[in-house]
Amino acid sequence: MTRAREVDGHRYDVIVVGAGMAGTLVAKRLGDQGWRVLVLEAGTKTLNTWPGHLDAMNTFYSSLIKVPNAPYRANTAAPSPSVLDTLPAKDGHGYRSVGYLVQDGPLPYGTDYLRADGGTGMHWLGLTPRMLPQDFKVRTEFGYGRDWPIGYDDLQHYYCEAEREIGVAGDTAEQAEAIGLPFPEGYVFPMHEIPSSYLDRVLARELDGKSVLDRYTQQQVELQVVNTPHGRNSTPNQAYDGGRGFRPESAAGLPNYGERCVGNSSCTPICPVQAKYNPLKTQERWNRKVTLVDRAVVSRVLVADNGRITGVEYQAYDDPGTPVATTHTVEADIVVVAAHAIETARLLLASEVANSSDQVGRNLMDHPVMLTWGLMPGQIGPFRGPGSTSGFEKFRMGDSRKKHAPWRLVIANWGWTWAAGSPGSDVADLLGIPDSPFKPRGKAVYGNQLRERLGDRIGRQVAFQFELEQDAQPGNRVTIDPRYRDALGNCRPILNYDLSDHVKKGMRAALDVSHQIFQLLGADERTAYPSDAPSYFQYDGAGYTFQGAGHGCGTHVMGDHRHNSVVDQWQRSWDHANLYLVGCGSMPSIGTSNPSLTMAALALRSVEKIHHDLMDLHRPLVLRPTPVPGYAQPREA
Amino acid sequence: MTTRDLLTGLTGFTDIEAPLAELEQPPFEIPRTVPKLRHFLQAALALEFLTIPPYLTAMYTIRPEANREAWYALRAVVMEEMLHMTLVANMLNAVGGKPVVADPEFVTDYPAKLPYARERVPIALRNFGREAVKTGLWIERPERMEDLPGTGEEPDPRGWTSIGQFYATIREGLVRLAERHPDLFSGDLAHQIGPEDFYNSGGMAFPVTDLASALKAIEVIAEQGEGVPGSIYNPDERLFGQAREVAHYFRFMEIYEERRYGPLDTPASGPTGPAMPVDWAAAYRIDPEAKVSDYPKGSQVRAAAEQFNLVYARLLLLLDRSFNGEPKQLQAAVPVMLELRDLAWQLYANPHPDPAKAARGVHASATFEITRAELTAAAAELDAGVGAAALLAALS
Repeated sequence: MTRAREVDGHRYDVIVVGAGMAGTLVAKRLGDQGWRVLVLEAGTKTLNTWPGHLDAMNTFYSSLIKVPNAPYRANTAAPSPSVLDTLPAKDGHGYRSVGYLVQDGPLPYGTDYLRADGGTGMHWLGLTPRMLPQDFKVRTEFGYGRDWPIGYDDLQHYYCEAEREIGVAGDTAEQAEAIGLPFPEGYVFPMHEIPSSYLDRVLARELDGKSVLDRYTQQQVELQVVNTPHGRNSTPNQAYDGGRGFRPESAAGLPNYGERCVGNSSCTPICPVQAKYNPLKTQERWNRKVTLVDRAVVSRVLVADNGRITGVEYQAYDDPGTPVATTHTVEADIVVVAAHAIETARLLLASEVANSSDQVGRNLMDHPVMLTWGLMPGQIGPFRGPGSTSGFEKFRMGDSRKKHAPWRLVIANWGWTWAAGSPGSDVADLLGIPDSPFKPRGKAVYGNQLRERLGDRIGRQVAFQFELEQDAQPGNRVTIDPRYRDALGNCRPILNYDLSDHVKKGMRAALDVSHQIFQLLGADERTAYPSDAPSYFQYDGAGYTFQGAGHGCGTHVMGDHRHNSVVDQWQRSWDHANLYLVGCGSMPSIGTSNPSLTMAALALRSVEKIHHDLMDLHRPLVLRPTPVPGYAQPREA
Repeated sequence: MTTRDLLTGLTGFTDIEAPLAELEQPPFEIPRTVPKLRHFLQAALALEFLTIPPYLTAMYTIRPEANREAWYALRAVVMEEMLHMTLVANMLNAVGGKPVVADPEFVTDYPAKLPYARERVPIALRNFGREAVKTGLWIERPERMEDLPGTGEEPDPRGWTSIGQFYATIREGLVRLAERHPDLFSGDLAHQIGPEDFYNSGGMAFPVTDLASALKAIEVIAEQGEGVPGSIYNPDERLFGQAREVAHYFRFMEIYEERRYGPLDTPASGPTGPAMPVDWAAAYRIDPEAKVSDYPKGSQVRAAAEQFNLVYARLLLLLDRSFNGEPKQLQAAVPVMLELRDLAWQLYANPHPDPAKAARGVHASATFEITRAELTAAAAELDAGVGAAALLAALS
């Protein structure tokens, strides 16, 4: 147990800034290779004990609104944004932003992250779809966004490695057949797929083989319910790893617990049994070469006048309720910043490093989520199983991407939770409780009638999450301004965020598809986009609202030239040879895949480069006589 | 007369006077034929199962949110008893036997007499408390083992003295029979339960296919309970590369003494680590000799207690199928276990219907009673398609 102030002035092989998913994996692999790694985490590490987990569970149970950060306690020294910080504007048009993020763009960035040990990896949904091969060259193929300097084949090996570290459950055969993903010969995921929910199976029965029309391409798109790969414990596949099988990882802090998903459907914000992967599980397998120091807010990346990074400056605090800190420095041969797309950009801008391209903070992306919802004709059993187990995959690919943004059509197992705050809002509605204290209370039903009507309504709730690809736009960016600071005096992120017409057109097409699907299902569509919602906008004669997916990407974008990108294909800064920026911020385009798996694969790929850099730095030079050309050295007898 | 264990100093119970149900025990001899070995393993299956209802009762009578450390300790123990049961079933299947679970003869009544012991120690369904923990200590106690039975033709007249002795006898029988019968382990591999179907316990389920895996199963069963000889720890680290954990007896001792074992502690030292406060009052008090027939006919408590036993019978049927060629039925059995937990919680939260008992703070309880009637009714329910399997089958 090392405390933040105690590492002042020490020197390590590698400093990793941020103990989230990417930083934790980097530390794991480098520690395994024998390097001395210091991980600095701005938040606390309360969550990595079982009592800490139980405290988060209690906080979650007692919170009125179950948003992604609901289980995690506030920290004034290292504040996190909340999706509740985005409010309707007082005049009923647009939004206003309160809280940690400063927002002044056309549309709100409705996404949060978590500054605590484990990072946002504590409240990810736990879906691990790979990106499609075509997702890596959207500019060349479809004329929007930015291309990657590497492709799917370069990541194949690292995808497999990431699937091992995370423990992925899924069906490779179905992924290959339904989506066309290439896998190595004979490869299977570590665990069998998470069983598809009853809802998935009802939808498959009703929709598989039918098709819907894309209004912009006038093409029919065939519907097929496809099981999604998960970072969640399922039945281990005995055929994995050449027949060696796989042992699911237990909960962090409690052995032999959470070895299977039991379907609580609260994956976001918290898996009660920790069947869902979180970075704390990997941290339990760190060796002694890795030191984790929490409550250490990195305030500056330090650079020498030869352009090499010497280390970092950090602020050590004791009490998350008292924003008081002392400032220290620590040094390393290589610094890895893995602090989340927005925090990494903020730190680089505050440190005035790595930005000769002027791309730091730009190209901020998310997956804007358009929700549609309705009531099915019969009971479909929502709130059982993980938040989502399947989706429709055909909308992610093909030439329609030239016309509008693609999307992944995610089937939600949690009823109208996200769309309308169910089941709490249903109870309030049937009790006649209005949505505003200024309205009179309506007629209420009680007793058996209340139970029956609740059961009928909640049991028929279906919702779809259209998660659209957002293209990289230089104007969507993170900046800082010394006038906006947090309690420790660090600059807060200022966001300017908007959706391109490519995305808005995608929503138009998606809404059309949604109507057709509800019609095919004979469902009663209830989708409504109120014009006073914070994210409301109009496009082509119709109004829309959208949510953030929590997939912040693109702020230190990867490219093939130092003039127009922040990092090279190894996530190494073009400007500083010993600075790595690891995380979703490196992605030039994000396709329609939840980005954590790809981020993990990229992180593991960077580890190989970091390892070689460190070997080069540490290998002593042995002076030998210069060989004379053409002269054979005499051998010893 | 007070019972007292010489090695551990454990004392017996004085509150239960009624006659105790006795588990059928094989004769005190080394099994010398394959059918006899199967008989011994079936007895071992019943022995492992006997421990589960008392442990579940102790666990589920803890009031919500209270005594969490004790709750997780009990949970870990009961999961490992389920593992032991599964491993015994694997052994029995490996030697061509047929595990019997869904049978009234398999399920003992409570209070039962501690099997394979000289002492009269009642194993009762007690609420969480010192007596319940002491019951666990008796079951899991480390023993100074007396001699195994002799090898004569007739059963040895001395009789069983400990559970450890019983398993050592099975071990001896296995080794001898394996020498004489090269095809001893010729059971159908499809009946074996592996880590894909059993999970969440320390150690792991593994197929028993030969003498080595059978002996490993016995080692796991013995040492997860009473510890690696001379130590307070179980063998999970050595056998499976898992985190080293305190064995059952010592987990119970931690609760009993309200103190954890420290890193340097031994069986003789007792726990000297950090305090682990237990709120002994934070449990639903129940009658350790409760029967369904105690509850008035037509009362809601009676209906709930009968429903519990019906679902319990369904669990037995599913376990029986799981151990007899359909390992995937374990997946259907797990939700039934959770259903039992919820039904038990409902009972414990209710005051006892007898006003006199209710006045003393006694609550209703699950009685874990099984007769042919419950099994027949549960089988009919399963055939009629209770549970999710039928729902999903209707879709395809």
